[in-house]
Amino acid sequence: MRRPRSALAATTLVVALAATATLTGLVGTSLSASADDDEGRAKNVIYLLGDGMVRTHVTAARERFYGSDGKLSMETLAAQGYVSTYAVEKLSGQPDFRPNPVTDSASAATAGAFGVKTYNAALGVDAKGAIVPTMMELAKKAGYRTGNVSTAEITDATPAGQMSHVLARGCQGPVYSDAACQDLAVTGAALPTNDVRVTPVADQIARNGTADVILGGGLGRFDADDEAALTAQGCSVLGSIANQTTATKADLAAATGQKVFGLFNRGILTVEKSKRDNPSSVQAQEPSLPEMTSKAIELLSQTKTRGEKTEKTHKSDKGFCLQIEGALIDKRSHANDAAQTLDEIKAFDDAVAIAQEFAQRDGNTLVIVTPDHECAGFNIREKGTFTNAEAATPPANVDGGNTANNSTPTRPSNARDSARSTGIVNGTGAADAKNFGPATFRIPTDAAGVTDGSPEAGLWLSYLPRNHTGADVPIYASGPGSDQLEGTTDNIAPFGIVGHAPRVIR
Amino acid sequence: MTLRSPRLAALVFLVGLVAGLATVALAVVNPAATDAAPVAVTPQASFAGLTAATGEPELVGIAQAQPSPGEIVRAAGPFDDRFSLEDLAFDGAAVTGGVLVTSDVSEVLDRQVLAGFYDQQGMLLGSDRFVYHLATTIASSGHAAAPDERVTFRIEVPAALAGQAASVALGVPVLVNE
Repeated sequence: MRRPRSALAATTLVVALAATATLTGLVGTSLSASADDDEGRAKNVIYLLGDGMVRTHVTAARERFYGSDGKLSMETLAAQGYVSTYAVEKLSGQPDFRPNPVTDSASAATAGAFGVKTYNAALGVDAKGAIVPTMMELAKKAGYRTGNVSTAEITDATPAGQMSHVLARGCQGPVYSDAACQDLAVTGAALPTNDVRVTPVADQIARNGTADVILGGGLGRFDADDEAALTAQGCSVLGSIANQTTATKADLAAATGQKVFGLFNRGILTVEKSKRDNPSSVQAQEPSLPEMTSKAIELLSQTKTRGEKTEKTHKSDKGFCLQIEGALIDKRSHANDAAQTLDEIKAFDDAVAIAQEFAQRDGNTLVIVTPDHECAGFNIREKGTFTNAEAATPPANVDGGNTANNSTPTRPSNARDSARSTGIVNGTGAADAKNFGPATFRIPTDAAGVTDGSPEAGLWLSYLPRNHTGADVPIYASGPGSDQLEGTTDNIAPFGIVGHAPRVIR
Repeated sequence: MTLRSPRLAALVFLVGLVAGLATVALAVVNPAATDAAPVAVTPQASFAGLTAATGEPELVGIAQAQPSPGEIVRAAGPFDDRFSLEDLAFDGAAVTGGVLVTSDVSEVLDRQVLAGFYDQQGMLLGSDRFVYHLATTIASSGHAAAPDERVTFRIEVPAALAGQAASVALGVPVLVNE
């Protein structure tokens, strides 16, 4: 009886597998049919990331630059929602899921670019160190042109998150080191140094061709071999990597071609306020984020090479995927520098406006604006008030026995501590390094003569820590597929939505 | 293929059927999740012509320096416009000082100070390094460090060179901010 039993078993398995195959085949057919249907496909995607910028940053910048009844450009986008940003711990998975409430830019970049939760510091690898493909890699593979623009070093977490894979974000280059590149807690043993996951980001970017247009900072991370690798791919390198000569805004304005690599500072780009205050400085020759955005769109959307007489078309006919990062919002928030933070939000929003203008002309571009996380507990406080950091005592629950009030701290006798609040930090208290006072800024409706740093100024701002917080972040979008970003989502959700809009992901 | 029991065979059938139906159900009720499955793209895992690192980073300036006895000199590195070295001191047994990052105020993720030690004639005897890695620092201290632009270092003359080092060259081959 064994043989019939075996036959029965085999038949059963075949039927079972056939049933599965048939049913999944139906799904596959359905998806294929969907894949063939490009109706509603977004031709282009512009993903603008304001690093460290959440709702209070947006509100403060609106109050500062446009007044209470004004709007930033990003606020005019039709679809709006919120995004949770938590990361996970190393080796976290299922069923051993261990979240980390506060993400860093690397983990958030990986979530956005890969649709995968990972640990803080990881780029392009999951929580167990396995490589996952990025949106930009998928787009490139699918025939789209690609661009990556940042005011940070281009090897920094957010831009690198689209075009590299490393265990640790510190592995930026130009050289390898064990401490910066290996992570034994993830891999158990050191990886060989020819493994991409411990290959410095600069080396990867210069060689993998993932982005056609790269604009930003971080020239010091690259060396002569990287320049040779870029030029071998047909890339037009602005300035000189070999000589460590930074590119300028004039170089950028003159740039043409399908592949352009321009880094305008050896480190991060210079804040707008500094360039404005020092117009004759070398740093003032750096392009602004809006200028880089405009040029990147121009380079990626061009349909014929300048000077060509024929209407010869290029890959750009399919469309492009472009990431723009306003990195200095986060960096100046780390510094608790409200004045420069506000200016960087304005520059970022001006870049959003340029993307919107293009999208309106093009009529088929998905524009997404979102931060990766909050930074420094930035907040808008009532004029004339003080925060706990300036208080003589921390909040006390003096009424804990009252069942109607037993979880609400009250501060009946609290007062400002003159030693901890010695004046407005961008005014009379600027010289006191231990001062927790507010930063104040005039707003459009303030009376003439009211100045930044004065108690009369209408916008009072303060920070809590100097690091990231775990607050949900806003997301603004317009164009094909943007409605799916409304409501509350998680930061891995945009990967599928962004990828599906241009049918990079089916 | 042999399954020893009709019950087991039936179970296999049932599992297969359920799996197939579940796949369909997932596709129907959650199309976005199915759509989000990325197409097969394998990121580039190696790079032709790129020489893999063979060890910790070195600086050309360490090999080229010829400091006079008692001197502490700088060896050029890729990040010299991003930091200053402060309070440097060398007593023959160790070089100490501080690295102050001047280009950024966010957390310093990685920082390495490389010290070359030289004899009375300025000939390089050997080197050692101070390695700062934020994740390790947090793990060892038990709490997250506030961003700190300045880190103090101490690099001892290797035991094999004890008593021979007369001068030092210092450089920073690794520096990464958050």
